[in-house]
Amino acid sequence: MKNLKLAAKSAKEGKTVVEVGDVRIGDEFVVIAGPCSVESEQQVLESAIAVKEAGAKVLRGGAFKPRTSPYAFQGLGLKGLKFLKKAGNEVGLPIITEVIDPRDVSWVCEYADIVQIGARNMQNFSLLQEVGKAGKPVLLKRGMYSTIAEWLNCAEYILAEGNPNVILCERGIRTFETYTRNTLDLSAIPSVKEVSHLPIVVDPSHATGKLSLVEPMSLAAVAAGADGLIIEVHANPCEALCDGAQSLDGPGIKQLIEKVNKLNAAYKAL
Amino acid sequence: MKDEKIDLSYVRRKIDQLDNNMLQLLQKRMEVARISAVFKDPDKIDDPKRESEVVKALTDRENALLKGEFIESLYSLIFKESKRIQRETTTLAAFQGEHGAYSESACRLWNPNFAPMPCEEFADIFRGVESGIYDYGVIPVENTLGGMVGQVNGLMLFSDVFVVGAIKLPIHHCLLATPGTDYRSIRRVYSHPQALSQCREYLRRQNFEPMRYYDTAGAAKMLSKENPASSAAIAGKLAASYYNLEIIQEDIEDLDTNQTRFLIIAKEPTRGDGNKCSICFCTDDRAGALFKVLQIFADKNINLTRIDSVPEHPGEFAFFLDFDGNLKDPNIQEVLSRVEDVSANYRFLGCYEERSAL
Repeated sequence: MKNLKLAAKSAKEGKTVVEVGDVRIGDEFVVIAGPCSVESEQQVLESAIAVKEAGAKVLRGGAFKPRTSPYAFQGLGLKGLKFLKKAGNEVGLPIITEVIDPRDVSWVCEYADIVQIGARNMQNFSLLQEVGKAGKPVLLKRGMYSTIAEWLNCAEYILAEGNPNVILCERGIRTFETYTRNTLDLSAIPSVKEVSHLPIVVDPSHATGKLSLVEPMSLAAVAAGADGLIIEVHANPCEALCDGAQSLDGPGIKQLIEKVNKLNAAYKAL
Repeated sequence: MKDEKIDLSYVRRKIDQLDNNMLQLLQKRMEVARISAVFKDPDKIDDPKRESEVVKALTDRENALLKGEFIESLYSLIFKESKRIQRETTTLAAFQGEHGAYSESACRLWNPNFAPMPCEEFADIFRGVESGIYDYGVIPVENTLGGMVGQVNGLMLFSDVFVVGAIKLPIHHCLLATPGTDYRSIRRVYSHPQALSQCREYLRRQNFEPMRYYDTAGAAKMLSKENPASSAAIAGKLAASYYNLEIIQEDIEDLDTNQTRFLIIAKEPTRGDGNKCSICFCTDDRAGALFKVLQIFADKNINLTRIDSVPEHPGEFAFFLDFDGNLKDPNIQEVLSRVEDVSANYRFLGCYEERSAL
């Protein structure tokens, strides 16, 4: 970790708080929720209404999708981004979306309040430099095969471009276990907090790939000291074009946020 | 359309573009037909001799793909519609610029039943309204970011038209490109210098090169016709639909306070209903001359909403004044007669309704 000039805990006094509108990530516990992919104007609006009502603070949604197969649904692109922005404006939530191509960064920044770098692009250094220059808050997911040190070095790339607003996101790493999609590395949360001032959120949806595990791992993340959660929500999960099996529905996210809030309160009182 | 594969989707895009061009030509054709009604005796709109001459000249050009019978039946339809237009004499409202201009949006908002007629110059609008070719003219007078539209006041000064209405229109710019354009390939953006300057921050963020063009809608028209590589245009939504362009991004102006005020002009004044009045006058070239006029309004507590000045002769200025009020109000009448006494070349331009589309 000795290469970390800006991401290291010693580089800064106190924690980094990333401000997005009224939301203060790193200061308050923030739930980011929404569909894996923007599929239509109607679908993203329905999901937005559901997550807003449940108490989420940021709306997520993918317009540019990095998919394992080139034949899988690749996202609606710029059109999807417009739908997401419109839905966000309608319900009054800032939006986060992934960017996968350096040529798209300026376009994504026209609409997104937070740009996300996905696990597969964590070490795409030209993309990291581009989002660093763009000046919007960045959520940097951990690569599925990356060490914490490699991950923090990637955050360093963004910080080094003069963009201080980096949020880390643990989304599970690859192990020999096949029951879950990935293995959620909860120890990464306190580890990152030991070495860095950056806020860290957890994505239990991609980490487990199983709806039944989203809630328990969300609560575990709270207990481990995470600054927030990023959860996949679809108004009709069985109709989703992508990752329907791990998406919560409206009542599901509402119940999850209620439990998370209770646990957070109890945790603070400890 | 460079480096593109010729396949069905390419051909269809081409057809869409041609259909759009044909519709633009038909629009123009009907506009000219409508204007011809001004010069025709209403009983002599039917002119079979002229029709057969026109059809003859066109069918002479028949070939393997474009058959004479087709040309004939197409033109019988066009003639029929064109004669209907001449008989019905829809109200005409002239605006400056190409179809799709913000002035046309203002015209459509003012009265959706008016036929907006494009004119090249502001002077053409004034001349056309004075001579009775157009029933109304729609002219921009001031923009919140760009200031007053100078030319218009000068023309108003030497014209005898009246102001019969006003409308405030929010100006929202869009980034437009031909259908199928990859937004990532855009490098140059064409528009009127004022629109470019209203989107300066946006152009900087996207690293686009601003390209000055005579008109916003004109830039959109050029794009749809010539489709230069790596290019887009800044214009309004109306221009996008008129020239079959894709809206890449909406509301790209740097400030959302951008609005333009348009005046509606006509040959005859209104009957005096409305919430606004306009006058113009000259003053002597001496200290306090303008102040004396303004004092009259201040004394009666009348709110002035616009003061513009234009040089009439070297050293002599004409002033344009808009204020809240109605001509039937005795208070206003008294003020106006006093203004007439203390100024020169006084002219009452109109009492009219001002609307806001904000």
